[in-house]
Amino acid sequence: MVTISVIIPTHDRPHLLPRAVESARTAGSNVEIIVVDDASTDDTAEVCRGLKNITYVRLERNLGVAGARNVGIMNSTGKYIAFLDDDDLRLPGSLDAQAALMDQNPEAGFVCGAMIMADQEYQPTGEVFLPNSSGDVFWDLMELDFPVMPLSTLIRKECFLRLGLLNEKLLGIDDWDILTRIAEIYSVLVVEEPMGVYRKPTPSSAQGSSWQSAQLRRAARHQLQLLKLPRAREAGPRKRREIRRRTINRIADTLLWSAAHGFRLRESRAVCANILGALRLNPLRAARPGAYKKLAKQLFVKRAIGT
Amino acid sequence: MPRTSIIIATHSRPQLLPKAIESARAAGSDVEVVVVDDASSDETANVCRSLSGINYVRLDRNQRVAGARNVGLVASRGEYLTFLDDDDTRLPGSLDEQVEALDREPKAGMIYGQAIRGDEIGNAAQFLFPRTCPQGDIFWKLLGRNFIPCGSALFRRRCLSSVGLLDSSVPGVDDWDLWVRIAGIYPIMAVEIPVIIWRRSNPASGQGTSQAANLVSLGVRQFRNCWMNLPRARTASKRTRRAAWRAFSENMAEHLLWESARALRRGRPGQSLRDLSVLPRLSPLSLMRIVEHRILGVPQTGIPEALGFV
Repeated sequence: MVTISVIIPTHDRPHLLPRAVESARTAGSNVEIIVVDDASTDDTAEVCRGLKNITYVRLERNLGVAGARNVGIMNSTGKYIAFLDDDDLRLPGSLDAQAALMDQNPEAGFVCGAMIMADQEYQPTGEVFLPNSSGDVFWDLMELDFPVMPLSTLIRKECFLRLGLLNEKLLGIDDWDILTRIAEIYSVLVVEEPMGVYRKPTPSSAQGSSWQSAQLRRAARHQLQLLKLPRAREAGPRKRREIRRRTINRIADTLLWSAAHGFRLRESRAVCANILGALRLNPLRAARPGAYKKLAKQLFVKRAIGT
Repeated sequence: MPRTSIIIATHSRPQLLPKAIESARAAGSDVEVVVVDDASSDETANVCRSLSGINYVRLDRNQRVAGARNVGLVASRGEYLTFLDDDDTRLPGSLDEQVEALDREPKAGMIYGQAIRGDEIGNAAQFLFPRTCPQGDIFWKLLGRNFIPCGSALFRRRCLSSVGLLDSSVPGVDDWDLWVRIAGIYPIMAVEIPVIIWRRSNPASGQGTSQAANLVSLGVRQFRNCWMNLPRARTASKRTRRAAWRAFSENMAEHLLWESARALRRGRPGQSLRDLSVLPRLSPLSLMRIVEHRILGVPQTGIPEALGFV
């Protein structure tokens, strides 16, 4: 009897996929692994044929991550759903530990855990992200103040039947959307141990951070929809405004911070995109001199090294 | 494991729902009826709980029809799947016939049939839609207009695994969109017999007419952004693609004209104007071609059928 379905959407990464699949296998017993091949154009299909004991589903048209995950959910038979990206890893035993915790807490919608950040070669960078609160995290999630990624999360399948599936139109933020919707009516558990390894994108890997600015602005836009959820409505306009303001500021700060970071990596295009994005969200916040402290520091340090 | 799952998405229509469920049960043997209650605020939940032998799923937050149907797809277990609207009726035994036919053709992805137009309480009237049922590779025909009545289509679960679930961002066009994606890969079959009864919308029920302009603009967007990007359409010649766009435009324009005339007859000039305002987004020659077809008497579809409902 399968209890956990791990859904791995993949697109043109046959060299990374087997490692992700293996990590999912060692992460739990009673696990079914569903690889959703999002219309890969290379030898992904052959690589998958070589993998034992997986359910292989092939999409004929590229649907994007959320669409592929939805197809995975439809093909799943487990009670719990875990999403894993084809370049990330699950740690051994992590799924079993989370499933046991979910069994003990039937009122919880999902359980998340700490995440280890790693570089492109899966070497830990020393950063570990841990969600800072548990229980009712609806407002934290709404404010983007809750570090959670699908790779460290185990979701009760029932949640999808009560709240609907992932929104395919939300590129890159479909997970934030569904987790917020779940947290609106379910409580959330946190495991303090690391559950997965996240392979951090670099601007040149074309994986994500180059679109960071676009993605965060999309999140800012989508938050207006999430603020229409019944629980947010009940909270009153004042609370909603406050949440909105804090989120915008947080996003602007994040964009400026990563602009500073990008500066060091000499990614001038990403830097410009981020600063422009921050200015568009909140000109006043981005015009605050303090926000550029980090940027100035980077500039200064670089000069100092240069001389 | 049931053979066939009938997915009924419902929202606040407890008076019509039992009839749809009854008809679904009688439509075939080995059928699972999945009722997805799209966050109804009335006694729908009680009505469903009083019915035994259905797979009842209740959404806490309204997901609109496509989102609710997707949840139904996840909750269902059958190998063959079909949707039924909560105000429509499946004809007895119709499902068995379609299952048998689909069993004989393992390559085909989907089978559809005809719908009988019913009156407002769902009793059968006389005319059938579509009058003829094209079969085989109907991808290009289907791009022109939706001639597949939603409740009549029975498809394999594995089709969804290759084309994806319903696109919930195009409410009202979501079924057409799915048929197009399936027809892009699989041959389609049909039985030329009526399999469902459609309830005719009346102005008060707010079903089709009020949304004609909205639906056509969604359709235009989907045609351009999604259908023309399907592998099948992308590899086709420019001429074929243009012909598809013309056929689509002509049918949509006809639909808009019809709906705007209907709105005018009912004394809703604003609605009528809104319908007409979408016309410029279609192919510029579509109006001319409608006239041409009428004058030349080239057999065209019945006017209200362009979107497959009214």
